[in-house]
Amino acid sequence: MGHTIAEKILGKHAGGKPARAGEIVIADVDFAMIHDARAGNALKMIEKLGAKSLPYVKRTALVLDHYSPPPNMEAANTHVEMRAFADRHGSPIYDVGDGICHQVLPEGGHLTCGDLVVGTDTHSTTYGAFNAFGTGVEGTDVSAVMMTGKLWFRVPETIHIELKGALQPGVWAKDVTLAMLGRLGAEGANYQALEYAGSGVEAMAIDDRMTLSNHAAELGAKAAILEADEKTLAWLKAHGAATPNPVQADADAVYAQRIVIDTAALAPQVARQHHIDDIAAVPDVAGQKIQVALIGTCTNGRLDDIRQAAAILKGRKLAKGVRMIVTPASRAIYLAAMREGLFEILTAAGASVEAAGCGTCVNITGHYIAGDDQVVISSANRNFKGRLGNPKSEIWIGSAATVAASALTGVITDARTVAGGDWRAAA
Amino acid sequence: MNIIKGSARILGDEVSTDIHCSSKYLPGKDTAHIATVAFDNVSPGFAKNFVKGDVIVAGANFGINSSREQAVHVMHRMGVSAIVAPSFGRQFYRNAINNGMPVIECDIAGVAAGDAVELDLAGGRIRVPAKNIERAVPPLPAAVQALLEAGGLIPFLQKHPDWNLGGAAA
Repeated sequence: MGHTIAEKILGKHAGGKPARAGEIVIADVDFAMIHDARAGNALKMIEKLGAKSLPYVKRTALVLDHYSPPPNMEAANTHVEMRAFADRHGSPIYDVGDGICHQVLPEGGHLTCGDLVVGTDTHSTTYGAFNAFGTGVEGTDVSAVMMTGKLWFRVPETIHIELKGALQPGVWAKDVTLAMLGRLGAEGANYQALEYAGSGVEAMAIDDRMTLSNHAAELGAKAAILEADEKTLAWLKAHGAATPNPVQADADAVYAQRIVIDTAALAPQVARQHHIDDIAAVPDVAGQKIQVALIGTCTNGRLDDIRQAAAILKGRKLAKGVRMIVTPASRAIYLAAMREGLFEILTAAGASVEAAGCGTCVNITGHYIAGDDQVVISSANRNFKGRLGNPKSEIWIGSAATVAASALTGVITDARTVAGGDWRAAA
Repeated sequence: MNIIKGSARILGDEVSTDIHCSSKYLPGKDTAHIATVAFDNVSPGFAKNFVKGDVIVAGANFGINSSREQAVHVMHRMGVSAIVAPSFGRQFYRNAINNGMPVIECDIAGVAAGDAVELDLAGGRIRVPAKNIERAVPPLPAAVQALLEAGGLIPFLQKHPDWNLGGAAA
């Protein structure tokens, strides 16, 4: 019997042989990340333990992204402690405005194919887009990695998902993950790993593949891993990653479940208010009024997301009464979007642009609060009641294309029906 | 590992510890305060009536979604001796083990509030004598037992910086 990618990566890091689902392994971790919403306690604990040396601390990045910029004294002081810790121990640090952890780790060349990467954030599954096993842990786990370079893992069962056919113009990886949420339900893949494969994945650009792995967190997935191809290897090389060790599943690997999705026929999807698995096809809810449009987060704040929004809003104005904020996922994306003139297009259309960070996703910075009875259409990943600070508002979730098309018309709109909605980066 | 005995305290399905057992939505309130009000919104008086040594018997996906380690610290302060549920949220399950809280995946049908519950973690058995319930559960892996016995991941690594699990699952 063969092995899944998850079994191979975890096994290789735990002594060599592929592991089996259900086993507990002690594995060498290649890279770890801790962000500012978790660092306060963990760094205090490490100092309290009086660890004389933290031999693996240079493989742990500190990222100041959740409180970016800090909305209060406590957050600002956590940032002061994180900078001092990085100075003292020599760990890489990404400061306010540098970007969201899941964007800056790959951009910084900190991971490559076949790696085992952990971070104090559920969306650490993002690294699976680069054929790495990426998973979310807690501050205690990252402390253990800094001390010993290792961590314990239960080897997950894997669901194999084949995406058949390239997505239509105006349809994006976000629509695939929303369709999966409609099918399996939130936490429908709890404890399990996902492997996405097929011509639908091959056709996707790296930005879109990162969305695919990222948003698997809402399914409860422990990891969401794609195979590497030429696009993966070229991207990693361009970002200075170490030599990749691509890992493929065996033809006779054992899967908990196999799912096939006809991606060529998929329509844009949205999650309705409050529940990320309350899914509708956009044409079925078209006409629902919105007042706030948000593009950003680790799920859909990448350059291709901003490009498609600009393609839709070029030379036009937001619908009357709609406000829109665009928050790039990293400083590198911010700079690229600025150089391409995308911010000029979006600003002229009536949108505003914020510094890179996590604020679009959850009411941490206080910049994105909606009013009573307002409906938000957001490219984020979650829409729990009150997540943006007001339980009397609604958050609907869709792709950046759906957000931009809806901002243009003031109602939830299928991007395939507006000019520019068919934008796609040249392969 | 010794057998854990305690009185059952019942919670329902899909209980989020972020919402009901942390200061995420009660900013400025510390762990000591949360330990006096935890789970009140799903089971009024739960924390107030909790007796040290009681066992939480919960429904499906206990600790679902995002979960902070603080939830486990709160439960230790309340005196929770173990948690039994048919399934757990992934992050909560990991946090519980890393912070020395026994978690057992098991069918809870028939168990009622106040029932005396006996948990044999190494032997893989749960007993509720008053209800004539005796169920086999998969024994906790040796590695997990070692972490729990040490009181959690960091105390374990202070004793065993080389991750030596005593010939267990290394």
